[in-house]
Amino acid sequence: MVRNVADRAFLPTKSLLEEVGDMMILTGKTIMSALRPPYPYGGEFVNQFLFALKLCWFPLLVSTVAFGYGAPGLQAANFLVLFGAIDRLGGFFVLASIREFAPFVTAIVLAGVAGTAITADLGARKIREELDALQVLGIDPIKNLVVPRFLALMLVTGLFNVYALLFGVFAGVLATLVNQAPLGGFWANFFGQASLTDLWGSTLKTTLFGAIIAIVCCYKGMTASGGAEGVGRAVNQAVVIAFLGIFAFNYVFTQTLLATNPELANLR
Amino acid sequence: MSTTATSQEDEYRWHTGLKRAHGSKDAVEFFDVHKAFGRNKILRGLNMGIPEGKISMILGPSGTGKSVCIKHMVGLLYPDQGDVLVHGESVPNMEDDQLFKMRQKFGVLFQDGALFGSMNVFDNVCFPLRQHTEKSEEEIGEIVNRRLAEVGLQNAHDKMPNELSGGMRKRAGFARALVLDPDIVLFDEPDSGLDPVRTALLGELIQEIHEDMMNEAQKRGTPAPAFTLITHDIMTARRVAEHISVLWKGRIVESGPAAELFQSDNQFVRQFLAGESQGPLGME
Ligand SMILES: Nc1ncnc2c1ncn2[C@@H]1O[C@H](COP(=O)(O)OP(=O)(O)OP(=O)(O)O)[C@@H](O)[C@H]1O
Ligand SMILES: [Mg+2]
Repeated sequence: MVRNVADRAFLPTKSLLEEVGDMMILTGKTIMSALRPPYPYGGEFVNQFLFALKLCWFPLLVSTVAFGYGAPGLQAANFLVLFGAIDRLGGFFVLASIREFAPFVTAIVLAGVAGTAITADLGARKIREELDALQVLGIDPIKNLVVPRFLALMLVTGLFNVYALLFGVFAGVLATLVNQAPLGGFWANFFGQASLTDLWGSTLKTTLFGAIIAIVCCYKGMTASGGAEGVGRAVNQAVVIAFLGIFAFNYVFTQTLLATNPELANLR
Repeated sequence: MSTTATSQEDEYRWHTGLKRAHGSKDAVEFFDVHKAFGRNKILRGLNMGIPEGKISMILGPSGTGKSVCIKHMVGLLYPDQGDVLVHGESVPNMEDDQLFKMRQKFGVLFQDGALFGSMNVFDNVCFPLRQHTEKSEEEIGEIVNRRLAEVGLQNAHDKMPNELSGGMRKRAGFARALVLDPDIVLFDEPDSGLDPVRTALLGELIQEIHEDMMNEAQKRGTPAPAFTLITHDIMTARRVAEHISVLWKGRIVESGPAAELFQSDNQFVRQFLAGESQGPLGME
């Protein structure tokens, strides 16, 4: 009886851990398969890249401006105005937008828009036994389906991060202007705080977010089962797991980056 | 303990596992194969042979694991226990490269057709040829046109799979399974979703193709082609089967030449092959 209850409470966790293990294995296989010749995935890579670009550019534009203006912009400006230090918003946007919010918003939009599309697509193919048919016809689904998605999503999230940075900082400019402050102080403070490490750290982090999204979404799609309903379930789980993965990884990354680059913790 | 023992015996009362001699080599063999999905035990000590050079059928109630069997043969699923041999080589023990090579011996029609949704019918059927042969587009076109005409899809070349009816998808999958002239052909319910006349014609087509491929194989000296059909249509079984394996509850009830099985005095086999409601098999 007790055993039963315990089983019911912990089995989902256990299977989640198993799945995480499987995803690690999939990551390893994907990297191996990407490196080892032949390289038949070029066309699919370009397709997936353009597909993600087309789907995401507009949602991302809206999200970054709205979020940047709404959350760090207005709130921090309100706070800083109290001290008559609205020019400090520039430095704050380096911390907020470049280091955290731009990567987050990018990852969330990419997972929600492109990641779900990947899971739904692969899930439908799995249910229709297309993946089985491919394997029987001698096509390796990892090399031909997972690798191009993995690479395309990494590249696209990395690039989109720069795009999100620009619009995020634009939102900071907007918040400064709304508070009728001159922009000179904002920019001076912004470039006083910003360093190259911030930029590459942010971009590297987002690229790795892209890798997490791709692996989780491909894994969930390729292991979907139970008809159309199963595909829906897979999409749902893919988003949840991708977000958890991103948040957890972000903690580790930020901690490591701050520890290895102590100057980043200095606020100027 | 004793009660479970007797109920087990009961459950397998009709499973004599009798393998009647069919007089040729086995292309695919199952040895004591067990397979479970979670707690759901599907194959429970399956011993089965698929003879070379014959049209054989796997018959059995819905949900007994016939499609699971097929996936074991091509290495898409691995047994928890036991072994599966294809032309004498153990599938579960193969390296990836070997496995890919072994799969080229097979032509498989999956239960739902498994056409590639992003390609039209013509490209779907071309796919194996483009993948595995050096043939020119012209030669490929010729072969594919012939195969599509055989299954009556000559006017559906540029339709996408989601524009086809279930029966048409089946027939396109059927054509795709045969373009490489495989040594072992696996058809999972080729006749489901077809009207009675087309079912009868499909039966004849299978016999014709099998005969052609037997002659070809003899000329080339390759193993005689083994055709395996899964079907629920007893009429098809009567008309085209040369060898029958009856599968139930993860084991073979009886297997052997079709004519002998239709004369079997095993009650389950008789009930199933006659399609009667009275007998050992109920709805459960
Ligand atoms: N990948 C899988 N994961 C979990 N269960 C599975 C899987 N594949 C098959 N099963 C289960 O195995 C059992 C047998 O399935 P299978 O498709 O082989 O039946 P079948 O004999 O082909 O039936 P039908 O004649 O209706 O096609 C079913 O109960 C099914 O739920
Ligand atoms: Mg089936």
